[in-house]
Amino acid sequence: MTIEAMTPNGERMTLNMGPHHPATHGVLRIVVESDGEVVATCTPDHGYLHRSIEKIGECIDWPLFVPYTDRVDYVCAMNANLAYCLAVEQLLATDAASAVKVPLRGECIRVLVAELNRISSHLVAVGAMAMDVGAYTPFLHAIAQRELVNDIFEKLCGQRLTYNYVTIGGVAFDLYAQASEEITRFLDQFEREMVRFNKLITTSTIFRDRCASVAPVSAAEAIAWGLVGPNLRGSGVDWDLRRDESYGLYGQLAVRVPVGQCFAGRHGKVGDCFDRYVVRLLEIQESVRLCRETLKLLPPPAVKANDPTGGYQADVSRQLKKPPKGEVHCRTEAPRGEMGYFLVSDGTKVPYRVRCRTGSFSAAGIFHKVMRGIFLADVVTVIGSFDIVVPEIDR
Amino acid sequence: MNGLGYGVDGLSHWFVGIGMPAWLAVTMAVLLLWIAPMLVVVFPIAALGQIFERKIAAAIQRRVGPNTVGLDGPLRFAFRAILCFLPRARQDRVFAAFCKLPVVRTILKVSQRLGLGQLVADGVKMLGKEDIVPSGADGLVFRMAPYLALVGAFVPFCVVPFTQHMVMLETSVGALFAIAVSGIVVVALKMAGWGSGNKWSLLGGMRAVAQLVSYEVPVGLAVAGVVLWCGSMDLHVIVGQQYQPGVFSMVGWNLLQSPFLLLLAVVFFIAGLAECQRSPFDMAEAESELVSGFNTEYSGLRWGMFAMAEYTEMLLIGALFATLFLGGYQSPLCEEWIVGLPVLLETFVHLALFVGKVAVTFLVMMWIRWTLPRFRVDQVMRLSWLKLVPICLVCLLGLAVTMVSSGGTVLGAPFGRLPASPHADLGLIGRLVAWAIPVAVVLGLVRASRKKHGQLHPALRQLTGGGS
Repeated sequence: MTIEAMTPNGERMTLNMGPHHPATHGVLRIVVESDGEVVATCTPDHGYLHRSIEKIGECIDWPLFVPYTDRVDYVCAMNANLAYCLAVEQLLATDAASAVKVPLRGECIRVLVAELNRISSHLVAVGAMAMDVGAYTPFLHAIAQRELVNDIFEKLCGQRLTYNYVTIGGVAFDLYAQASEEITRFLDQFEREMVRFNKLITTSTIFRDRCASVAPVSAAEAIAWGLVGPNLRGSGVDWDLRRDESYGLYGQLAVRVPVGQCFAGRHGKVGDCFDRYVVRLLEIQESVRLCRETLKLLPPPAVKANDPTGGYQADVSRQLKKPPKGEVHCRTEAPRGEMGYFLVSDGTKVPYRVRCRTGSFSAAGIFHKVMRGIFLADVVTVIGSFDIVVPEIDR
Repeated sequence: MNGLGYGVDGLSHWFVGIGMPAWLAVTMAVLLLWIAPMLVVVFPIAALGQIFERKIAAAIQRRVGPNTVGLDGPLRFAFRAILCFLPRARQDRVFAAFCKLPVVRTILKVSQRLGLGQLVADGVKMLGKEDIVPSGADGLVFRMAPYLALVGAFVPFCVVPFTQHMVMLETSVGALFAIAVSGIVVVALKMAGWGSGNKWSLLGGMRAVAQLVSYEVPVGLAVAGVVLWCGSMDLHVIVGQQYQPGVFSMVGWNLLQSPFLLLLAVVFFIAGLAECQRSPFDMAEAESELVSGFNTEYSGLRWGMFAMAEYTEMLLIGALFATLFLGGYQSPLCEEWIVGLPVLLETFVHLALFVGKVAVTFLVMMWIRWTLPRFRVDQVMRLSWLKLVPICLVCLLGLAVTMVSSGGTVLGAPFGRLPASPHADLGLIGRLVAWAIPVAVVLGLVRASRKKHGQLHPALRQLTGGGS
């Protein structure tokens, strides 16, 4: 019997979860109609964090939009930078005269920072999910590790949250001296730390039972509802843009893609909250490996005399004054799934249209479907497992 | 004499003996024996518990915790109040001189390192906060709830024996009384949830009631096991019965008497955690789900009372656990000598031992809170009714069978002023059978369930550092 049949409308209670509820990861508002502890309907209400970023894109020069991409998703700003810059480079490449070639060192640094930021973003995701389920300690341990990544980024570009580091044609600054050693040292201790983290929370029976079989999304449903990224892979769909539509250096790196396989065991289902959670942890491991591989590929810095741009950045100022006309859609694999930019150029130095497609937006779409008939306590688990970052939904 | 229990009777008798009027003697005895343990033992520990918790949480989470606010602020305030007749400069000079004393300096330094002043600062902050009653609230119910919670948390302590001579009420229904009175907390939480006029609070209150009522059953059954074993509901008699002469006096503790009692102790501890709404059973105030549950709408001192009640209840569970299973205030070693010490010294040693035992359970509760995630509502209910209650019933049955098959009782040793009480006489073979069979069964069950449930997915094994 469905929940609708069990309780006539009058016996339900409308609960207003958010926009300042501790578990809604920012300013998401969810209107929950519940029958006691059981959720009958659940309607996400967006728009509290809308900043007209796409409209701003129509008013400023091509390279000046990069800092705004930081604000689209501030948990993984590097990946957001990268998505926009790749889109612009793709636009420039539509005309052979204006095409730019990003130097190899620049490509390597891009992958390095993107993967480090993926690690830190997933740390927030798994830590916050653990906190939503009631374990406070793993969150702080995860945040402590994220701080170390931020330290590296701070030395790299002076910022800890909104980096504005990846630029059109390369990256803004070269790696600082001893960066490779420092990153390697971080990765070594990070791997040890993650083993402890997983022993603390991932294999905890209470945590597993809280997440197993909660809000399962089958592979067909996941595709039909347009889920992307770890949420899609958690449902068992083997799809990762870094491998299947590789961009940048990823083609040489042979990315291994983890998919959900009912990690919770007997009581779980493929595509439940636990699968989405574990897929993120496995992706963290994969990112660590990719960072190590990239460090091996990293060429030495160019000699200033031979290359005035330092070997990490191509000069694009001429091309961006008069880019080719046309439109381009470029998608990348950000921590929260596909982050794609659709750019329309009318041949001037200001974009005609900038459109951004993000992973959290498609994840928020499925909320009202998966949250029907679950417990109120599981609402926060589901929000956590889909790894919603609200500015990405509203933009 | 006046029927107020051994301690009050004895002490007032002594006071009369040194020439006090009878009414003053009784009043003094009541103050010393009934009120003082509350104020001196329970209240400060419950208050200090919050600081301890913050320090322990900080240690578990690799943070620093409170380490800045020392006791010099309150001390300066006290000096100014006492020396109000002096000018401000003189006051400060006296205070500075006092702080330079080596002992005081050390204490101030340590208290600052431990952040003890945070306690005072928090208290002053809570006092200064506006007492808000939401417009939709049911005023009387809303205001009454914190007091009831405090009553339910504090009153059960009057049957807990703190030491041989510091026990407020020696009554033949002690264990029952403690459980019954702590049930008042249910009403308080329900009132808080209902009276707040907030849907989150209402949900929290509902959860609290469902949970507390369910978990009173395993708590009661676990206590019933001990009562069955000891043949008395008087908590002090239960303590006396766990006395074992000789060096290894902990052999006599109920915890080690039978595997069934050991299991009951575990059940009692888990159910006790649920009774005081501690993680992983803190559904009633689940921060990430219900904002703050039943005390969302409370502010200032009323909120402080709920916090106080929570910590007091933790202490109560610890005290009952120590009394029922860990030999009460007895020492694990050489109890025989301690009980023979002069009364004052003995009382002091016993009190320290008792507080130590309570502190250990307190610590374990905090450790659990900062390690485990929270259960879901249905899982909590299932744990109680489908796991803990059947375990309790099996243990009760096992205890009864052990006692029936043991072949009579033997008189134990008298403990201090408590007379000797009968024990079940197991004998060597009976002891072996009573331990070996249940332990073997439990080990087998654990292994079977490991085989059934415990197989980790290979990916998880790899994540935790095992082979891929």
